[in-house]
Amino acid sequence: MSDATPQTRAVEVSDASMVFNPGTPGEVAALDHVDLTVEPGDFVSLIGPSGCGKSTLLRVIANLLEPTDGSVLVNGKSAHQARIDQDYGMAFQQSGLFEWRTVTKNIELPLELKGWDKKRRQERVREMLDLVKLPDRGEHMPWELSGGQQQRIAIARALAAHPPLLLMDEPFGALDEMTREHMQSELLQICAATGTTVVFVTHSIPEAVYLSDRVVVMSAGPGRITEIVSVDLGRDRDEDTREDDTFYKKITEVREALRGSEMSAEARGIEDR
Amino acid sequence: MRLRHLARSLWPPALFGVAFLVLWEAVVAIFSIAPFTLPAPSAIWTAFVDRFDQVADETWVTGFNAFVGLLLGVVFGVLASLITVRFIQVEALLTPLAVAVNAIPIVVIVPILNNMLFGTTSQVPRRLMVMLIVFFVVFVNVSKGLRQVSATHLELMRSYAASPTEIMRKVRVPNATGYLFTALKIAAPLAVITAFVAEYFGGVQSGLATGVRNSLNGSKDVTWAYVIGASALGLTFYLISSGLERLQRGRHPAD
Repeated sequence: MSDATPQTRAVEVSDASMVFNPGTPGEVAALDHVDLTVEPGDFVSLIGPSGCGKSTLLRVIANLLEPTDGSVLVNGKSAHQARIDQDYGMAFQQSGLFEWRTVTKNIELPLELKGWDKKRRQERVREMLDLVKLPDRGEHMPWELSGGQQQRIAIARALAAHPPLLLMDEPFGALDEMTREHMQSELLQICAATGTTVVFVTHSIPEAVYLSDRVVVMSAGPGRITEIVSVDLGRDRDEDTREDDTFYKKITEVREALRGSEMSAEARGIEDR
Repeated sequence: MRLRHLARSLWPPALFGVAFLVLWEAVVAIFSIAPFTLPAPSAIWTAFVDRFDQVADETWVTGFNAFVGLLLGVVFGVLASLITVRFIQVEALLTPLAVAVNAIPIVVIVPILNNMLFGTTSQVPRRLMVMLIVFFVVFVNVSKGLRQVSATHLELMRSYAASPTEIMRKVRVPNATGYLFTALKIAAPLAVITAFVAEYFGGVQSGLATGVRNSLNGSKDVTWAYVIGASALGLTFYLISSGLERLQRGRHPAD
């Protein structure tokens, strides 16, 4: 699936800084000397108050932003080369489906841009629709689907080219609580089936704990990583995991890490559910 | 179902129209208003039927000028917006450009074109004037559609390492299609009005406005016969363009 050897790290951010509007009164240190390593197959969440730079960090990994300082390796290559090679897929809070394209055409888009022929694209689309459990929605238009279904299609699109890495920016942030929990379980199943590495930005502590092997806690002004909480809940997580004592303990641990690092008012931006 | 709905929404304006014509006829008869001031609807209708061939000829001339100008304006408007949006990324540059195009007193150009470039026997200046007006409407709207694409779509395309040309073809152009048809709906009736106004500024002795102008000295029922032609023409352009817009929008939900 990926060219990477087992030693190659999925993501390696070294001493990355990101300053917006440098030299002006509006100068913001969104990232301040950040180091982050993600091993292949890892599920890593970035959590922190608004302005802590978690979305910036994700975009730096995606090479949508060029860091002011430091280096970023993705899949053993420069972030730029990784983007050119489509080594990662991306999903956002807005599903970002193209409303003038059918579901099938939406999933096909990254493959079109890679120059795949029609037959190969159609086979892959079928595979992806099965993966996200919407096998008969191919000819629908995006607006005919529910919010949760739209996000599933967005995930199918992000994974269509079989990238080794999936970057997600609050993908379930706009969904209701029930759909959200359901989607979290689905995502874990998809990642288990495909072996995809995930970097996941979220506002929700339980979401971060439920999904992740490691929760990266960040603080604002300037954006820094203050603590990394390992979540040893095993790989086979299901709805019962949400009742698990370890689950609650880890939620408390992440919450305290957030409070410890961020006594300021901005910590109130965190959802405590 | 739809037909009944249509009938229900049509009868109030139809009733109003009929009442208005009856009142008009009555006022002309009661106050004995002279035909060269205000002819009665019945007189206008007679004049229209008597001179139907002539009115139809002039309507065709004006309509064809409007159509050619509309077509050219749409083609050049779309091309210009594609080029500017592709190569001028900054809105700050585009807006003054659009305003500058709009600020040209287009109406005064026609006599200049007539006298200097094409001579008084050509329909070309009239078509050029229609083209300029349509160009502006299309250029502004389509540029907006090409530019106002969702930030998520753009980030997604960048994550696929898509080239600016691919972003144009797969995101900007589809996004602007709706804007183009909206522009067409605005521009089509405007094209008829502009063609009509252009005829007023001299040139060839043909077209609806020429008919109106030449009949102003005599009985006004002939003048009004040409007005019927002009109304029919404007309505036709509007119905076709708004029909096209509805057809295009049909594939999308109401936003």
